[in-house]
Amino acid sequence: MSSKGKLRQRNPQPEASTSNYEYDQVQEDEHHADIYTSPKSRSGIEKFFEGSQGSIIVVSALTALAFALRFYKISHPDQVVFDEVHFGKFAAYYITHQYYFDVHPPLAKMLFGLAGWFVGFDGSFLFENIGDSYITNNVPYVGMRALPAVLGSLTVPVVYAIMKESGFSTVIAAFSASLILFDNAHVAQSRLILLDAALIFFMSLTIYSYVKFRKYRYMEFTLEWWTWLLMTGFWMACTWASKVNGILTVFCVGVAVLFDLWDILDVRKEGHTMDYFYSHFLARAGGLILWPFIVYLSFFWIHFRVLTQSGPGDTFMSPAFQETLAGNELLMSSHDIYYYDILTFRHKDTKVFLHSHPDRYPLQYEDGRVSSQGQQVTGYGHNDTNNHWRIIPTKSLPETGRGRIVRNNDVVQLLHMPTNTLLLTHDVASPLMPTNQEFTTWARDDYTRHNDTLFKIQLAWDAPENEPFKSKSGYFKLIHVPTKVALWTHPKTLPDWAFKQQEINGNKNPSERSAIWYVEDIIADQYNDEPADRDEDQRPVKVPKSMNFFKKYIELQLLMFQHNAGLTASHPYASGPLNWPFMISGISFWTDNDTQKQIYLVGNIIGWWTCVVGLSVFVGIIAADLLARRRAMDPIPDSVRNRLWNNTGFFLIVWGVHYAPFFLMNRQLFIHHYLPSHLASALIAGSVLNFILSDTINYPISYATSKTRLRPSQYADTGFKGLATVLGYGLVLFMMFIYIAPLTYGTPGLTGEQVNSKRLLSTWTLHFAAKKTHDS
Amino acid sequence: MSFSGNVRARRPASPPAGLSHSSGHSTNTSVPSSSTDKQSQRFPHPREEHLDADARRAAASKGFGPASARHGGKHFPTGGISVSSGELKLLFAIVVVACAVRMFRLSKPNSVVFDEVHFGKFAGKYIKTQYYVDVHPPLAKLLITLAGWLFGYDGNFDFKDIGKLYENVPYVAMRMLPAGLGVATVPLAYLTLRALDCRASTALMGSLFLTFENGLITQSRHILLDSPLVFFTALTIFLWTGFCNEDKHKPFTTSWWAWLSLSGLSLGAVLSCKWVGLFTYATIGFHTVFQLWNLLGDLRITPRLWMRHFIARAICLILIPIWFYMAIFSIHFAILQNSGDGDGFMSSEFQHTLKGRGMADTFADVAIGSKVTIRHLNTQGGYLHSHAHNYPTGSKQQQITLYPHRDHNNEFLLLNATQTGASGDPAVDWLAEDISYVTSGARIKLRHIATEKHVHSHDHRPPVSDVDFQNEVSAYGLKGFIGDANDDWIVEIYEGDKRDKESHKRVRTLRTHFRLRHALQGCYLFSHKVKLPEWGYEQQEVTCNKNAVMANSLWFVETATNEKLPADAPKVNYRRPGFLSKFWELQKVMWTTNAGLTDRHTYDSRPDSWPLLRRGINFWVKDHHQIYLIGNPLVWYLSTLAVAAYIAVRGFLILRAKRGYRDFDNTKVVKYDSLCGFFFMGWSLHYFPFYLMQRQLFLHHYFPALYFAVLLSCGVFDLLTSSLRPRIRLQIAVVIILLAIWNFWILSPLAYGGDWTRGKCEKAKWLKTWDFGCNEFHTDIAQYNIAIASTPQKSSVPASFATAVDGNANHAAKESTSAISNENKAEPGKDAFEGRPADEVPVSSGAPGGPGGVVKQEEEKVVSTVTKEGEKEKEEEEKKGPVSAPAAEDKVEELKTGESRKEDVKSVEAEAPKEAVKEAEVKTGEVKEAAKEDEKKEEVPVVKEDEKKDSESATSSSSSASSSSTSTEAAETEAAPKKAAGPLDQVEMEAAKVAEELYPEAVAGAAA
Repeated sequence: MSSKGKLRQRNPQPEASTSNYEYDQVQEDEHHADIYTSPKSRSGIEKFFEGSQGSIIVVSALTALAFALRFYKISHPDQVVFDEVHFGKFAAYYITHQYYFDVHPPLAKMLFGLAGWFVGFDGSFLFENIGDSYITNNVPYVGMRALPAVLGSLTVPVVYAIMKESGFSTVIAAFSASLILFDNAHVAQSRLILLDAALIFFMSLTIYSYVKFRKYRYMEFTLEWWTWLLMTGFWMACTWASKVNGILTVFCVGVAVLFDLWDILDVRKEGHTMDYFYSHFLARAGGLILWPFIVYLSFFWIHFRVLTQSGPGDTFMSPAFQETLAGNELLMSSHDIYYYDILTFRHKDTKVFLHSHPDRYPLQYEDGRVSSQGQQVTGYGHNDTNNHWRIIPTKSLPETGRGRIVRNNDVVQLLHMPTNTLLLTHDVASPLMPTNQEFTTWARDDYTRHNDTLFKIQLAWDAPENEPFKSKSGYFKLIHVPTKVALWTHPKTLPDWAFKQQEINGNKNPSERSAIWYVEDIIADQYNDEPADRDEDQRPVKVPKSMNFFKKYIELQLLMFQHNAGLTASHPYASGPLNWPFMISGISFWTDNDTQKQIYLVGNIIGWWTCVVGLSVFVGIIAADLLARRRAMDPIPDSVRNRLWNNTGFFLIVWGVHYAPFFLMNRQLFIHHYLPSHLASALIAGSVLNFILSDTINYPISYATSKTRLRPSQYADTGFKGLATVLGYGLVLFMMFIYIAPLTYGTPGLTGEQVNSKRLLSTWTLHFAAKKTHDS
Repeated sequence: MSFSGNVRARRPASPPAGLSHSSGHSTNTSVPSSSTDKQSQRFPHPREEHLDADARRAAASKGFGPASARHGGKHFPTGGISVSSGELKLLFAIVVVACAVRMFRLSKPNSVVFDEVHFGKFAGKYIKTQYYVDVHPPLAKLLITLAGWLFGYDGNFDFKDIGKLYENVPYVAMRMLPAGLGVATVPLAYLTLRALDCRASTALMGSLFLTFENGLITQSRHILLDSPLVFFTALTIFLWTGFCNEDKHKPFTTSWWAWLSLSGLSLGAVLSCKWVGLFTYATIGFHTVFQLWNLLGDLRITPRLWMRHFIARAICLILIPIWFYMAIFSIHFAILQNSGDGDGFMSSEFQHTLKGRGMADTFADVAIGSKVTIRHLNTQGGYLHSHAHNYPTGSKQQQITLYPHRDHNNEFLLLNATQTGASGDPAVDWLAEDISYVTSGARIKLRHIATEKHVHSHDHRPPVSDVDFQNEVSAYGLKGFIGDANDDWIVEIYEGDKRDKESHKRVRTLRTHFRLRHALQGCYLFSHKVKLPEWGYEQQEVTCNKNAVMANSLWFVETATNEKLPADAPKVNYRRPGFLSKFWELQKVMWTTNAGLTDRHTYDSRPDSWPLLRRGINFWVKDHHQIYLIGNPLVWYLSTLAVAAYIAVRGFLILRAKRGYRDFDNTKVVKYDSLCGFFFMGWSLHYFPFYLMQRQLFLHHYFPALYFAVLLSCGVFDLLTSSLRPRIRLQIAVVIILLAIWNFWILSPLAYGGDWTRGKCEKAKWLKTWDFGCNEFHTDIAQYNIAIASTPQKSSVPASFATAVDGNANHAAKESTSAISNENKAEPGKDAFEGRPADEVPVSSGAPGGPGGVVKQEEEKVVSTVTKEGEKEKEEEEKKGPVSAPAAEDKVEELKTGESRKEDVKSVEAEAPKEAVKEAEVKTGEVKEAAKEDEKKEEVPVVKEDEKKDSESATSSSSSASSSSTSTEAAETEAAPKKAAGPLDQVEMEAAKVAEELYPEAVAGAAA
């Protein structure tokens, strides 16, 4: 700002706009003389690069370089690296059509599956462990890695295009692109089978499309306008469908659209009618809500179409869902349960059997509480006749037939076969948890506690009232009728008096999700025989059933949310959001002890810090401009300010929306979650560089119609100093890139001293560091 | 939000038609925007702003300018208190009423109520000057202490449990303090509203709303911090309002400075009561920013003048509050000079400043052969320690732990590992050598002196942190065994002390921080806030970590003695930390402790339930009386309604403005917008931040926000009635006030813990989610006389707890029956109750535990059961932390399994029928109850559910069809358990009695 030097103060004008939202119109600009340039008066360098030829040269150079850097030694390491464990595996499942479950939406993983299929991967290798060799397992992993590498490389020209479309000069656009091009973190992330490259690529396309869309804003409802609106929606949906964080891109477009609509609503600006506003509102609702949602759903539709076989994800889903998967083992061997069957019950999460044995609870526990001294009921991991329970009705039954089937919400008693006692719970604190109820058993012929032995079978997943209770697939909660506690167990074991078996108690929270049990096996029917083929005839289980797509989708989406929120375990390389912009710590992806090679995800520290500086300078400019205008000073030419507020402001929103929400998340977070924001900050850095280098900007850049008010045009001109700066900076950036490259490419191996020298920040936890010979 | 600064567009009040031009002109002079006003240009709001709106309107309609008022007639003091002598009388009357309402039978529950458990106890600590740590700043507690001290409290009463009878405690005086501040809040509200140019009737309504707000009453009648907090919040807002009025009038006058600096002081006081005072700070801060922003936009103000404005506010609103806050802490430190149960939270340097925790000077040099104690730097776990007990896991060798207290088992002999002397035993060899200091890179062994074993590490996993990169650390060896290479550690000096040059080069006691690297494994001696299980006496785990975090692998030598050192060798001691470092350290401890309060509490609630008053807090239950924190529904809902109305109207106005309507040119809109906007901002800033807090929250956290909401509702009232004649307006106000009083009256027994009948209680339960237990009360008011008579016969407290629950249970049983069938049917349960010895009945002390009840003492483990999970230690931590386990805060981390989800109210609703069998349940619970005093907490959730369910059953007919059908089913099944319960009860009651007799003497006896 100080570069301007001459801050003229306007005559105090009470009506000077104090609104901090900038209208897209030129006020009487006192900077006329400074800005009104003709395209001819620009420097030769600028004119060359501005031409299509120059631009093509630049963009092809950038793209070629991007491909080179991302494909360099892409076959190394020939082992499973970091999260390839997951995403490679999922790709394999697409090829073998096995159902799996993951917290991320399917698009990027389907693309990997497609790439794998294309290069001839048969899906038999399951990426079990980090470090498994691809070579010995004959996995065409290079083809799969090529996909993110291509997407990552193409991100660079997209960034360039965003800046060009935003009206910055070629040199500035190249600067922003090179921040991504030479960034070790982006490179490392896009050379492996990981989702982020796809996410970032689609996100950059979303930004690009939205910028284009905004440029057509005076040509509303034309073909181009609609095209770019729908393109924005499409890429937005792709972003979201690639990774769950992509929803932030949706939010940020949403915020931008709100600003936009708010502007249209403003009667002082163009004086639009409400009808006009509604039509705009509806167009955006359709193009940016409905249409992307359809796109997003269609990916899930494909997902379900492809994954038709039973697979590792079955157990996450409801029985109804599982029935749609061919060869689901649970359903194949699932039978209706009849009264008086002898069953074994198993806890879904900890896999222990409901067990009882003649030993009793001790009178008094160590902490002084007393028990009922009833027979112990425990969770036991192994098969045993003490796990056998007979299911006894509380209502009258027909002699034979399907009337004897146990159904949802039936009230039953459970008879422990070896001791001939009934399962009971009452308000006595359980041995380990004073808040939970003790489970014990009660002699069968003693009716004094009859009511306490009543339990309700409540099938999970909101099964309908008369749903039959089935073995294997019939996940249920056993709810005690009088006290409403649910049969529950947890991994803590009881002391020696219960042979270190698992505690079983009554959980007072009936919505507890870990209180789900299932019938492992039907041991015998009421005549103590092996159960006959009682239902094979009427239900040809081999054929998968169909299920409404929307039901499937909603079920899966809910599970994804739940599991995503559940990822709170700590991870040695997890880091807090505050560290990210400063590149405080990275992630160790892979190490090889023999050759001392390692891949360590870390950004190009010069580039990242440039971005941080750019961000803070931008915020400073904005704040200074706000204050100055409050005092009726006008230091920045209107066209430039317009760009700063509207365009770079949009980038700031992109940055903030992709960054700030992580502060509220409790799940484990990694530095690569910052990469989308880093891209936005690179755009901001370019804009700031332009502001520092010159007062000029390409203006106006939006496509005018005959109705649009004419505005004095001007042309960006950074001149020789721009080129020199960007070239010089690019060189420095490149050198830093090369310097850190061994960590990014995982080759060559480094000696201890070299590792120490690459450890630019003491917080980077690199492997194979030489022991410091301490001197201090 | 547009505040005062936007008011420039104000137009003159329109004079009545037919008024002469000259009188019209005189009206104009009263108008702020008039450029001919002789007031300064910059401050276009003359003091006529302070005129009562009615007075101004009247003046305008009669054609009188306020000029007359200025020259003669009424004198309005600047700064906004425009109170006439008539109003002073009114104000006095209000204060008298407030006194009556707040102080009525202040002595009534003569036992500990709710969080008095904590705050009473803290007062005791102050008086005994024992150091403690609490999550709240000290001002309010100091005031309570002052009250207690003046009236002779000696600090000996322990405030152990809710319901404990007071003995030798001037508790009335202590309660008088919050009560007095609660009373003082009332006139402050009146004056604030008046200063904001509301009418007297509105201000009267506002102050009476606050007077009869049951929640504020309940909260201010006990030794709790919220009443001081609300008072200081109100005071701040009042002073700030006064300042704003001054500021519009003329800045930089003496009174302007006075109002401003008083606002700052008051802000400091809010902050020093509770940290939620930060929200008040934010409110004032935002308003200040708005003011400054408006001043900035006023081009008549020179930058220099603007800077003066800025600096004045910065000094008074930033520096003064901080100064005040720190001054309060300096008083805090000055009083708490002795060691107490808060020591364990603080660093060694800090502890050294406390009497009773000081340490004698120790030799500065550490050399081979020194007898040392080594302390962990980052955690408060204490000293490297070993004792003659083995690990049950891993290598099964002797344990190495961190132990927080001084003990001879902390002493290690520091030996040279490289030297192989004549005897081969380094412990012998060093005697022959010259003194050799321990430098960086030295290879040493640490011999535990008491057991003659070496600190050892090997490829076994540690007992708790069972992960690959951790190795177990044990003590290994035997007498005479020189040890093996796994005993060897390399000293790596991390940093020395700036003022001790030597300490960078070699290990110096207290000054050098070093790491110990295992010579063979390359791992670092490490400890973290993870406790060993019981076999390790819950001491902190010590491991050898290959990826050690730097901070957790740093150690220092606390004491060192060496025979070879001359007696006059240099000695060192801890540096006494200055006030600032103590202050800062305590802030950090408070912050981490506060953040650790994430457990659920039986009566906690989330912010979304507050504006709707979904649920209160059970403070105290005893002798068929109950104190339950619940707001005045009318006041509460009106305030919420006002907030909603403000949002709706303001949103609508924004949209209209966007579409070109010029609403904001209307003076009335501008006036009420800035008035209500200010209150709304205060409400939002005191409310929404709670959504970000993960810690346990209670209804009373809403009170500061409620204060703003009530004032906002008054602002709305003022607006709605602005076109009415004063008399009609007053009449409307009186009607609303009477309704509020009626509401107050209905629920007042819960606020005062007064006599009530069950029927009235049930009737007063207007929302199903209000979970006060109506079964606490007698069915007939006459029964209270009998009950009271037996009070003095109280015997032992443990017994009383059993009875209390028993009583509840019995009532629960009765209730459930009566709800479903007939009261008479409940005989069995009733018998069980009445069969109790009479003297035990009345003694029942508060069964439902407040947060206070929850946290008591370490040994009282069962308190934890209030949370679902029932992990004992967790609970101690939760409200209180400062108990005494020195590393108590570790537990917070350790125990955050987060799995405990209390069933929410809804789920309980769904289970209406459950209560049917509750009776039997509670009977068995009784067994436990009797067994141990501590035990009783356990019953709390059950009892609470009882109550809930009772309430449920009473209203179950109105619930959904399905649930009502199930409840009738339940009614059928219910008869059976009740009858069945009879004989069983007796068995269990006998068991209970046995346990009761046996337990106090010897647990072992009972077990046998």
